[in-house]
Amino acid sequence: MRGYRSAVSNPETAVSTEVDSDQEIIGRVLAGDRDAFALLIGRYSDPLYRHALGMTGSPDVAEDILQTSFIKAYHHLGEVRGRFDAWLFRIVANGCKDWLKNIRRTHLSYDEDDQPSNYTTPDEDLDRTELRQDLDRALAELAPSLREAFVMKHVEGRSYEEMADLLGTTVGALKMRVHRAREALQALLEEKYA
Amino acid sequence: MLESLNPQEGADRPSLGRDAGRADNVAPLADREVPLPGAELGSTPAAVHAWLDGEATESEARLADAKQVALWSRIADETSARRRMVTPAHVQASIMNALPAATPTLAKSVSAVAAPAAAATGMIALSPMTAVLAAAGLVAAGFLLARALG
Repeated sequence: MRGYRSAVSNPETAVSTEVDSDQEIIGRVLAGDRDAFALLIGRYSDPLYRHALGMTGSPDVAEDILQTSFIKAYHHLGEVRGRFDAWLFRIVANGCKDWLKNIRRTHLSYDEDDQPSNYTTPDEDLDRTELRQDLDRALAELAPSLREAFVMKHVEGRSYEEMADLLGTTVGALKMRVHRAREALQALLEEKYA
Repeated sequence: MLESLNPQEGADRPSLGRDAGRADNVAPLADREVPLPGAELGSTPAAVHAWLDGEATESEARLADAKQVALWSRIADETSARRRMVTPAHVQASIMNALPAATPTLAKSVSAVAAPAAAATGMIALSPMTAVLAAAGLVAAGFLLARALG
């Protein structure tokens, strides 16, 4: 199984010593080197930010979830058993699900101004296109489990096997979720774009 | 509260099992349904799903439904742009600034962690020995009560 970090940031280079590296950094933090935690943030923040942004549709909320998750991870760093990256992903994924649950419970909908409007890319600031807005609205219509599966597959570019590993479910169930998400998105978008 | 890292439930609940935190305590429909081989879910042909899953070529998908391939190609352009997004520059600094000054410590034993969590939820935490002694005391009290009444 490829490591989460390697599969996301560089699919061609799976580094077998990655878990050891994380463990070394964790050991330094636990020994009192607080600044070493910045290495873990730098290593994992981008894919986790993309996940939170895909799930919530809001850059501000994604930043909040990311910050809360890393602080929670710092508090519980001494409890990490096994892969740190998978453990950290679950904290962020749960934060996204809790946010979505609270949004639905309180019947809030995020404002148009809260939609992604300032995606930062390495080489350009992308214009806000009509398709982007429509895709965001369509994603917001999906059930959280379908949205999560679609975002992980198509936005984050993960394999079904890696998704199953991170989410603790089966490849078959995830394929079904992704296929259902596609059907729903297509129904919402095809009249305008197909 | 014990930290819940179960991917199937929210982070604000203790983990009691895979689906313990679900409101309806059942798996989502997508988890309970298994597609039959070759079966189509809806209006999207299986060839288009296979292409999107990297299991078929675009030309094969186009033969099945060219309009859907065009739609998904546009969506793929948008999702690949999102895949290049990076965390805003200020976020790492704000996380580091928000970290507590105290160094995190190694995990305590399960019982040491569970007892305060149980207290916080209003539950009574009993060790096995305490439970046995309490049960023996109740039996003895019942015996004495029965003798007094008899």
